Amino acid sequence: MSGISELDQITRAANGDRTAQAALVNRNMPIVFRVAYRMLQDRAEAEDVTQETFLRAWKTLPDWQPKAKFSTWACTVALNLCRDRLRKKKPVLMDEVPERIDTGLRPEEALASRQAVDRIESKIAALPERQREALSLCALEGMTNIEAAETMDVSVRALESLLARARRALKAGLNAELAGEI
Amino acid sequence: MTDVTVTTDRVLELIEMYGAETGAWPDAEREAAAALLTASPDLFTAALADARALDQLLLNEQLPEPSLALSEAILASAPKPVPVRKNAFGGLFALIFPQGVRWPAGAALASLLMGLVGGYSYASTGIGYDQADAAYYATFGVDSGEDWLVAE
Repeated sequence: MSGISELDQITRAANGDRTAQAALVNRNMPIVFRVAYRMLQDRAEAEDVTQETFLRAWKTLPDWQPKAKFSTWACTVALNLCRDRLRKKKPVLMDEVPERIDTGLRPEEALASRQAVDRIESKIAALPERQREALSLCALEGMTNIEAAETMDVSVRALESLLARARRALKAGLNAELAGEI
Repeated sequence: MTDVTVTTDRVLELIEMYGAETGAWPDAEREAAAALLTASPDLFTAALADARALDQLLLNEQLPEPSLALSEAILASAPKPVPVRKNAFGGLFALIFPQGVRWPAGAALASLLMGLVGGYSYASTGIGYDQADAAYYATFGVDSGEDWLVAE
């Protein structure tokens, strides 16, 4: 999409241009899905949130104000939807724990990486909600501190505090786990 | 950006918050912080090693891909192209000019040309007005008024 600004793309998408709509979805849908998945830890729910985010986007596009990047706006909507769902969520019982998604790795590869993957993913999932959001947007999705703060509707200072606490908690959890294994 | 002052403590904070990769650090502070990092590497070796280990673990994250059905569903709900609107008299207009406006305009032009050619041809014959009138009246059997003029 080089040469076409995001605003052009949004204007075209709002007017029903299928190519612009597909480009907007292809570029932004994966990040929205990943952010939602990290928050909800459930594929179906993350897909629901992603779809709802884009439904809202289609309604918003005709009146789009280019104050923020589309991805920032979409992640803000997705995070709000996730928070709503997390608030309503009942405690997960052990027999309701969702199955791990098949990653498509060969058995020996899966075996080799499983421990590290499980370890970090479970630690991320165990982080407090806001710390998980900050880590997801900044460290894992590569947003700038300003974009991430805007998405979360907090100051850059507050975002940095959340990031520092998240990384400290991850390190502490992983160190404790390693110490237990020895 | 180069006039931003960054202290040793701030660089340690940046490493702790954003990790070991300077590319992940805030734009406004990156250049000054990287310069301090290069100038006094020993001050940051332990913090960088610690952060790098966590960065590597974060890279291990494996998330499922969104399904193709999801993107299809999203695109199916996208706005449709806006149809060209007919004006209020669109139906009447189409009734009067079923072939569009070019046909009546062409017919008007042809009529004009025929009139001009006919008029020029008539004028170029040299027949005078009186003769033409007389021929006309004779043709249609009408009194030309010549008798009345003679009597007068």
